[in-house]
Parts: sequence; structure tokens; C-alpha cells
Amino acid sequence: MRFDWRRAAAVARKEWFHIRRDPFTLALALVLPLVMVVVYGVAIDFNIKGVSLAVSDSDASQASRRLVDTFDSSAYFRILPAASPAQAVEDVVAERAKAALIIPPDFEKDLSAGRGARAQLLLDGADNATVAPVSQYAATIQTMASERIAGVDLTPPYTLRTRFLFNPELNSRWFVIPGLTVVIMAILSIFLTAMTVAREWENGSMELLLSTPVEPLEIIAGKAAPYAVLGAVALSFVYLIARLGFGVPFAGHLWVFALGCAIFLLTYLAQGLLISVTTRQQTIAMQLSMLTGMLPSNLLSGFVFPIASMPKFFWFFTMLLPARWFMVIARRTFLEGSSLLQLRVPFAALSASCVVMVALATRSFRRSLE
Amino acid sequence: MSGAPVSISVRGVRKTFGKKAFTALHGVSLEFEAARMHGIIGPEGSGKTTLLRVLLGLLTPAEGTVAYFQGGAPVDFETLRPQIAYMPQTQSLYADLSIDEHLEFFRDLYGIPPADYAARRAELLEVTRLAEFSGRPAGKLSGGMYKKLGLMCALLRSPRVLILDEPTTGVDPISRRELWDLLYRLLDQKILILTTTAYLDEAERCSKVHLIERGVVVASGEPRRLLEAEGARSFDELFLRRASAQDA
Repeated sequence: MRFDWRRAAAVARKEWFHIRRDPFTLALALVLPLVMVVVYGVAIDFNIKGVSLAVSDSDASQASRRLVDTFDSSAYFRILPAASPAQAVEDVVAERAKAALIIPPDFEKDLSAGRGARAQLLLDGADNATVAPVSQYAATIQTMASERIAGVDLTPPYTLRTRFLFNPELNSRWFVIPGLTVVIMAILSIFLTAMTVAREWENGSMELLLSTPVEPLEIIAGKAAPYAVLGAVALSFVYLIARLGFGVPFAGHLWVFALGCAIFLLTYLAQGLLISVTTRQQTIAMQLSMLTGMLPSNLLSGFVFPIASMPKFFWFFTMLLPARWFMVIARRTFLEGSSLLQLRVPFAALSASCVVMVALATRSFRRSLE
Repeated sequence: MSGAPVSISVRGVRKTFGKKAFTALHGVSLEFEAARMHGIIGPEGSGKTTLLRVLLGLLTPAEGTVAYFQGGAPVDFETLRPQIAYMPQTQSLYADLSIDEHLEFFRDLYGIPPADYAARRAELLEVTRLAEFSGRPAGKLSGGMYKKLGLMCALLRSPRVLILDEPTTGVDPISRRELWDLLYRLLDQKILILTTTAYLDEAERCSKVHLIERGVVVASGEPRRLLEAEGARSFDELFLRRASAQDA
């Protein structure tokens, strides 16, 4: 196949005119990333703090007060006193509290008698997102409370010192925002290009275009180029907000990340074009890009749900998704500072899917009205 | 051989759509001789647009062949493609692009050298009298201006074959006359022009007319001779008579 740069550039230039004159496209490209970073970065906080805890202390002893104080003094819980155990349960049922701590009357007596005192922690199992972290906090607090109640240092025979590498404070933003670059790029690139070729078909201009000497690859390249620039601008935007606005560290080499971005962007631009070329209708193209671009990049890329805990089928299935591989590249370059060599597997997989997508988009482009 | 007059020979072309549910062309055979203006006329849905699209390689016929000749020698369609200009019936320009932006776009697609382009642009803008509107977006042009812009895009690179699908539909009488004057000038350059039309007075302006009904060529020849043979005074009369004969 011949490839004429002048014709490809003409298509790109024309596409740029369309973008410049269509406020919706520009808004989508520049405002959407901003909104998403703010929503995910500010509003959604995976670090749970100030969980309301309904406390019914029927013992009212020194020991029971120490237990409650330990919960209170951690930033993770906010104490809500309850008159009776039934009242504490009622608080959870009525959503006034996320959890309830019930201390029975004989707590201190049992404790000093060495009978093994008991207290009960009730958690709202309907709220999956809070239960897991809260029960973890509670376990830690239990150890602290035991020491305080017993008044001794219960030093175990050995110490296990936990240190979190790459993200010492387990700041969820550090984890979320690099992943967000994947989601934003996936939505942008696939949506924008999925519309373009379909628009030519609906507009009737494709018939004229196909009667000229322009080759399919020239149309594909020319259409993708302006959106690649737009995607790169949006991405730099997200990077700057992440670094400057949220103080997310960047431990790796910028060029490794940029290379990953470029391959990923090209893959999804091609996927959008493939959708556009085959559907020829904007509404269907829009729905297909939601289904194949937005959903997998959100749900199956490891952005929200860890791939390791998915059923075996999905564990394999996600290997086909470019978003899964780029998610690894984005997070590891940001937080771990991984090199290209360390990321060779995701890079190889991403490049392979890129080649396949570009080939599919070009080959499915028919120079025919049928 | 490039630049020599082109002729097209259509042999037994059949075209079906869907799973043989609809046949648009039933074995059409036609000769389009070089350097002449051929009018393809017929009622709506008779297969005129389908025939043009087959000639342009935009549709593949189920049966039959289309052969292209240049200077009398057979040529491949791909060789000829850069020399064929087409103006579709449906709106096919970009509403947000101005006249000049359209011309520049097609200049680059056709690979026209800048010097040739400047001269050609000036000439076309003068003939179409669109010079003062060159910055106006296509979406804001009147029906006639829009068609003229379509024609300008098609004529930008001196084609050897010009294929027009209802170029004058929706165009006011003055613009229609201007468009025809433009086409006559092109004939002087030995261009093969194929045009479909719904205006039967225009059929008489062509050097050859091909009447198509329900995917079949029912008559073909020079307009006057064709009318004489059918014993009709005008194409209007011929059409009405055939229509009533079919109904009966």
C-alpha cells in the first residue's frame, strides 16, 4: 500500500478544523480529565477515617473506659454513646453509626478474675467498603487497649515491624491518581475517534472521500493524529495536577511513562477507529466505545478491583486488555520507579495489542459503500 | 497515456442488495464514449445512483464487468482513479469548512502543485462567481452555491472523467444554467461526463441519453433520434407515456 504524507496531513488538518470548531470535543478533551481527577482525587477517599461507633458501656468500669478511650483516641473512630446494647444496635440499623461496641456488665470483673472478658463489635456488613478497613483498625486497637488495660507492656517474643514500601502512609491518592491516567486516556481516545469516521459516513462525505485517491491508512493516520495530540495534552494536564495538586510522587523515568502512554494512546485510538469504521453510525459507535473502552478500563484493569482476586477466567481475560498492562506501567513508574527492563512484560503485551488494533482498524476499512 | 480521453464499457452488470432481496440493476450494458456528455435519466429508484457507484468502484457488481479505456487501450481502474472526479447526489461536503478550506483539502488529496492550484482556484471561483464567498462555511451556502462548491472540488484537478449525480437538483434556474455552461466548457477539453438528472429538459442538452427503468436500460441514443424513434416531442411526453403504459 502506498502512503502519501501530504494526503494524511490533509486529513489531519481537516480533522483539526472540526475539533477547533466543535466546542463539545474540546470540552470533553480538556474538562473531563480535570473533573475526573478532582472527583477521584478529592471526593473519593479510600482511607476511611472518623467511622462513627455506637458504644454501649454497661460495665462503666476503669477497664471498660480504657477500652473506649483507646477507640476514641485513634483518629479512625468517632464515639457515639448509647444508653443500652439495644440502643447501640438501633444506631447501626438506623445508619447513625457504622459500627457498635457493646461492653457487658461484668467486663472488668471477668478480666480481673482471669476468666477472659468479652466485648462485642458489630459492623454493618451491608457496607462492604468500610467493613474491611474498620475490622483491621479494630484489631490494631484491640492490641493497644489490652496493653493499656493490663497496665503492662505485653512485649511479644519477637517484633514484626511492618513498613510499606513506595507508599509509606498507604495514601490512597498516590495509588488512585496514577491509575486514573489510564481511565482518562481510555475514555478520551476511544470516544473521540469512535465518532470521527462514523460522522463522515453519516455526513455523506465518506462517499466523496472514497472516490479520491486517499488510501485507508492515510485516512486512519490523519484522523488519529489530532486526537493523539489532544490526548497528550490532556495527559500532561493530569500529570501536572497529580504532581502539583495532589503531591503524588513520581519515582520513575518520565520517558518510560511517556512511552507507555504513547503506545496505550495509539492502541485505544485505533480501537476507537475500528469501532467507527465497522459501525458507521455515531450512536452505535458511542455505545460500543462505552462497552469496550470505558467499562473494562474502570472495572477490569485493576483500577478499582485487584486483578489478583478475580476469578481465574477474568485473570486470563484481562490479559487481552491494554488497560490492564498500562495500569501496571502507570502505577509502577509513578510509585516504584520501575525501569523499562523491569516492565518488559507489560510493555511487550501492550505493544502487541497496539499492533493488532492498528492492523484491525486499517484492514477493516473498506473502500466500498457496502 | 495519462491525459488521453477515457471511455467506459459496461457489460451485463447486475447488482443486488441484501440477500438477493432487492435487485437494483438487471444486466445493464452501456457504452460511454469518450469526450461526450452522457445523461442517465429515469424515475426515482430506477438504479441511476447504483450504476454510478458501480462505475466508481464504490459498489461491486454481482455479475458483469466494467471496462475502462484510455486512448483506446484498456486501463486498470486504480490507474484511472486519480483522473475520475465525482460529485455525489447527497450532501457530502463539510458544513464547518469554508470554500477555501474545501479546495485546500482536495488540493492536498489530489496532490496538485501550488502554482497549478492558484491558477485553477482563481479560474473556478470566477466561473462559479463564488470568489466573494470563499471564506464562508459550506453549511451556510445556498443550495446552488453548495452544488457549485461540490463541482469545484471535483474539477480542481482537471479530471478525464466527471461523474455527477443529480448536480442540479434543488438549484434555482439561474444557477442551473450556470452549471450547464460550466459543463459545456469542460466538454471542449475532451472530458467524459456522466450525469444523472431528474430535469428532463436537461436530458436534451446531453450528447447521449440513456433511459433506465427498474434497473433495465430501455432506450439509449442521441436525444433527438431517441425521441423520433419513440414518436415523442419531448422527454416529458416520453416519460409520461411510458409511465401510463406501465400502469395499464
